[in-house]
Amino acid sequence: MTDDTPPVRDASGRFVKRATETVNALSRTSDEGIHPMAKVLFGWTEAKGIGTILLCLTGLLSVLLILADLLVDRHETINAAGVFGFYGLFGFAALGFVLLAGWPLGSLLRRGEDYYGDGNTSPADIDPETAEPDPGNGKSGGGA
Amino acid sequence: MPLLLTQINPGWLLVVAGLLAMLVSVKALRQAITLLAPMGAILLLATAQHGVDHLSQDMLGLTLSLYRVDSLNFIFGLAFLLAALLNAVYALHTDDRMQDGAALVYSGCAVAATFAGDLMTLFIFWELTAVASVFLVLQAGTRAAYFASLRYLAVQVLSGLLLLAGIAAAWKATGSLSLAAFTSLDQPGALAIFIAFGIKAAFPFLHNWLQDSYAKATVVGAVVLSAFTTKLAVYAFARIFPGHDELIWIGAAMTVFPVFFAVIENDLRRVLAYSLNNQVGFMICAIGVGAAGAGNALALNGAAAHAFVHILYKALLFMSVGAVLYRTGTAKASELGGLYRSMPWTALFCIIGGLSISAFPLFSGFIAKSLTMSAVAAEGTADPAMVIVWFLLLFASAGVLEHSGIKVPFTAFFGRDSGRRVKEAPFNMLLAMGMAAFLCIVVGLPAIVPGFGYQWLYGLLPYPIEAASYRPFTLGHILTQLQLLVLAAFAFMLFKRLRLYPTEKAGTILDTDWFYRRAGFEAVRWIDAVWTKAVSVGAQAASWAGRLAQGQLVAGFSPRGALSRSGRAGGMAVWTAVLLAGVLLVAFLSG
Repeated sequence: MTDDTPPVRDASGRFVKRATETVNALSRTSDEGIHPMAKVLFGWTEAKGIGTILLCLTGLLSVLLILADLLVDRHETINAAGVFGFYGLFGFAALGFVLLAGWPLGSLLRRGEDYYGDGNTSPADIDPETAEPDPGNGKSGGGA
Repeated sequence: MPLLLTQINPGWLLVVAGLLAMLVSVKALRQAITLLAPMGAILLLATAQHGVDHLSQDMLGLTLSLYRVDSLNFIFGLAFLLAALLNAVYALHTDDRMQDGAALVYSGCAVAATFAGDLMTLFIFWELTAVASVFLVLQAGTRAAYFASLRYLAVQVLSGLLLLAGIAAAWKATGSLSLAAFTSLDQPGALAIFIAFGIKAAFPFLHNWLQDSYAKATVVGAVVLSAFTTKLAVYAFARIFPGHDELIWIGAAMTVFPVFFAVIENDLRRVLAYSLNNQVGFMICAIGVGAAGAGNALALNGAAAHAFVHILYKALLFMSVGAVLYRTGTAKASELGGLYRSMPWTALFCIIGGLSISAFPLFSGFIAKSLTMSAVAAEGTADPAMVIVWFLLLFASAGVLEHSGIKVPFTAFFGRDSGRRVKEAPFNMLLAMGMAAFLCIVVGLPAIVPGFGYQWLYGLLPYPIEAASYRPFTLGHILTQLQLLVLAAFAFMLFKRLRLYPTEKAGTILDTDWFYRRAGFEAVRWIDAVWTKAVSVGAQAASWAGRLAQGQLVAGFSPRGALSRSGRAGGMAVWTAVLLAGVLLVAFLSG
C-alpha cells in the first residue's frame, strides 16, 4: 500500500503533516454519517453471525468460570456463597428474574407517553442543527 | 499560604465564581471562570489542615463553624470539586450565563455544606443547593421542565424545613449545634433531620423527585445534578447517623426496587436516575452497617469510596447519554440504536462507565463496592438478618449490570439500527468524558506501583489504616465477581436471543409520583369541584330561604298582610294608646 502524503517535516524533523492528516482522517465523519473510528473500535460487531458467536463465547466463558471454582480456594463468610458455582448461578437467576418480571410490570405500569400532559419536547440546549421549532411555545426544542 | 486563603471554604470560591459567571457576557471569560474556580478550590482543599476550625463566626447568639476539614468530608469534597471541573469542561460548548452560574453556585453550596462544622451552616448551604439547582431544570425551557422544577423545588424546600425544625428541636434540648452523631432517632430533632436527609437521598417512596427532574433538566444540567444532592445527603448520613440499623434496610430496599423500574423504563436519563437510586442504596446500607466512631471502619470506608467513584462513573454515564440527546434530540431507547457508527468515542466512554458501575475488575466500582459487600458479609456471621441484606445487595449488583452496564450502552449505541447518522459529540464533551473515563480506570487498577491505582483512593478514605489492610484483588474475589457478571451477561444475551427480553416501548412508567401528580391532583380537582358546587347550592338555598322569610313577613305584617285584614293599622294604634292610658290610670289610683 502506497502513501501519497509527501514527507513534510517540521523544524525538528517530524512528519507533522502526515500525523495531522491521520488524526483528521480518524475524526472526519463520512458523507454517510459513519465515523472512521467506528470501524476501528466496533467494526467487529458487524461481522456476520456475531450475535451467535458472542453468545457461544460468553456461554463458554461462563462454564469455564464456574469450573474455576474447583481450582480456587474461596473463603466465604456467608455459608451459602460457598456452594459450587454459587455466584454464577445467582447472577444468571437474578438477571433472568428481573427480565421476566419486566413483562408483567411493563403491562401494569406503562401508560401513554403524554400521560401527565407534560408534552414531549427536548431540552433547549440540544444541538441547534437537531432542534426543530416547538409549535407550543415557539422556542427551539422539538425532539427529532 | 496566607492566613486569609486558609480560611476560605473552597465552596465559597465556587459560589462567588458562579455569581460572577452569571454577570459575565463574554463567553471566553466566563468559560475561564468556570474552569479556574474548581481548580483553585481543589488547590485550597489540598492545602487545608485537617481537624481544625479554619473559620468561625458568632451570629445571632450562635457560633457557626464555617470551614472544617476532616478525613470524612475531605473525600466527599474532593469528589464534588472534581465533578465541578468535569462539568465545566462538559459545558464549554454552551453559551448560557444562567446555567454556567447556577451550576457553579450549586456545586459550591454542596462543597460548602460538606465542609460545614455545625448544623446551622449545613442547613444554610443545604437550602441554597436546592435554590441554585432548580435553574438547571428550569433552563431546559420546556413545559415539562417548568412543572418538574416546581415539584423539585417544593420537595427540596420541604427537606430544608424539616432539617430546620430538627435543628431547632436539637438546639433547644441540648443548646448545641454540633454535628456529633445521634445515637437514637428518639433524641430531640433526630427524626426530622433523618427524614430531611432521607428526602435528599431519595429514600423509597420519597425518591421520585429524582427521576422526575433529572430526566427533564438540560443536557448539561442532568450531569451536574447527578453529582451533588444525593451524595451530600450520603455524607450527612455518614456524619450524623452512622450505625443506625434503619439505614441498613432502607438502603437494601433502595438497591433492589429501582432495578425493576429501570428494566421497563424507556427514557435513558430516567434509567440512569433509577440506577443512581440503586447505587445510593449501597452507600446508605454501608452507613447503616458502620457504627459511630471507629466502629465498622470497613463499611464507612465502603460508603465513602462508593460515593467517590459513583460521582465519577455516574457523571460519565449521564455525559454519554447527554451527548446522544444533544446530537439526536432524544434519549428514548425506543428511538435509538446503532449510534456507534456516528458516535464511537461516546460509545466507548459509555461502555467504560457501564463497566465501572457494574463493578468489573480493573474498573473503579469493583474496588469500592467490594468494601461494602465484605462489611455486610462480615456482619452476617453475627446477625442472620444481615445474610438477607447481603443477598439483596448481591441481587442488586446483578441488576445494575442489566440497566447501566448493558441496557444504556446497548440500546443507544448498538442493537437495532435506528438509522440516525449524526455527528460525534463536540470535542469538549468528549474531553470531559475522556477525563472521567480515565479516572474510572485509574482508580480501579491494582496498585502495581505502591500508592497508585486503588491504593490512592484507599489512602483518602476516612479510615486509611483499615483501608490499607483490605485487599480487593484476591483471586477468589475476582473470580466470584466475574462469575456473577459474566453469567448475568450471558442471561441477557440468551433472553435477547429467545425474545424474552422486554421490548423497549414508548410510554410513561407509573411510579410513586402518580400519587401526587395524578391521584393527588385529581383529588384536589374533585374537592375544588365539590366546593364550587356546594357554594353554588348554598347560595341558592340561602336565596330561597331569604325569599321565603321575606314572603312570610310580607304576608304577616304588610298593610295587606294577615294581621291587617280585620282592621286598619291606625285603629290598632288608637286601641293600644287607650289600653296604655288605662294601665297608667290604675297605677295612679292604686299608688
